[in-house]
Amino acid sequence: MNCLQAEEHFSAHLEDTLDYQTLQGFEGHLGECEVCQQEYARFQESVKAVQELPQIEPSPYFMSTLQQRLATEQREPGSVKAIATTSWKQLLDLFRRPKWAFSGIMVLILTVAGTYFYQERPLFDQNPRPVSGTTMSQGEQITTSPETLRIELPRFVRNSRQFAPSDVLSTPTQPMQQRYMLKQVSYTNASTSGGL
Amino acid sequence: MPELDDELMERYQKGDENAFTLLVRRHQQPLVNFIARFINDRDSAEDLAQETFIRIFKAANRYKSEGAHFKTWMYHIASNLCKNELRNRGRRDRYRVDNVVNSGSDSDGDTEQIDLIASAPANPELQPEIALERKELRNAIQQAISELPEQYRLPLVLRDLQGLSYDEISEVLELRSGTTKSRINRARLMLKEKLKPFI
Repeated sequence: MNCLQAEEHFSAHLEDTLDYQTLQGFEGHLGECEVCQQEYARFQESVKAVQELPQIEPSPYFMSTLQQRLATEQREPGSVKAIATTSWKQLLDLFRRPKWAFSGIMVLILTVAGTYFYQERPLFDQNPRPVSGTTMSQGEQITTSPETLRIELPRFVRNSRQFAPSDVLSTPTQPMQQRYMLKQVSYTNASTSGGL
Repeated sequence: MPELDDELMERYQKGDENAFTLLVRRHQQPLVNFIARFINDRDSAEDLAQETFIRIFKAANRYKSEGAHFKTWMYHIASNLCKNELRNRGRRDRYRVDNVVNSGSDSDGDTEQIDLIASAPANPELQPEIALERKELRNAIQQAISELPEQYRLPLVLRDLQGLSYDEISEVLELRSGTTKSRINRARLMLKEKLKPFI
């Protein structure tokens, strides 16, 4: 055992918790090493000095002040007792336990997943059906069944497909009303021909 | 035979408010001593000790005796409050000066006097010298403790000033037993170096 290793065992030796083999090694080293002997003696003295520090007493008003503070806590709305007796709080307390919290999260996930998969169509239709009335310029109506109204109304549809800005940029000879609709979509990129 | 802390907590959970008062009376002194020694401030120690009891009072419904013991639970709450307090002080950059020694010495003045009488040397002129030396040493020890890094100071105070076992300290600090032992030994070694001019 060297000096550093011996130092690691100072507390254990002081408290008599070293196993026999380590004790032999420690005391063997201390018998040979004068520096460690001195250091260990100083170690014992400083521990003793700390343990002999006087106890600090609370003031005589400690209890009365505490009682006042507790009374204030109880009077406040939503205080200890009020909270403890509220049923929703008791319910929330249940979910502080990991098992209950995990179960709650699983139920929530299953509910959302179930709702999603039980629908006939996905919530967000990736391929909207073509609308019977293609352009507004022809005076035809856009289909407004409840199913399509939600998703398809905001889109501008031409020739049974979605109307993209690139379509219009490459076809400058569109009727005025169609171009006007395009400007609503992206008027910053589209050619405005001097207007807007 | 005095009731165990857990029994008192059970009584309090069933609505007996006197049981809580008994718990406070039993633990107020060790708790104030622990906090004052740890944060080196007697005035704040009273405040934080009261805050600890208020937290215990609030969380009493969640306390389960088969889990942590009352004493370790109490020290765990107090330690966290102390850490927060020290962190807030660090933010404010306004560290309180040694309040323990100045105002705390009043309370142990009687003890000191008794000690002096018991160990009075033949020459009475030496008495004030001894008293001064002791006070200096106590100040130096308290100062040295407060200069230790928090992670070493906390287990040291719990062990050497509060007399908790290694297992209890591990429970309070949520550390493994080996880590607790090694931190306490390291803290004592640091303290030995700091107290070199005095011991």
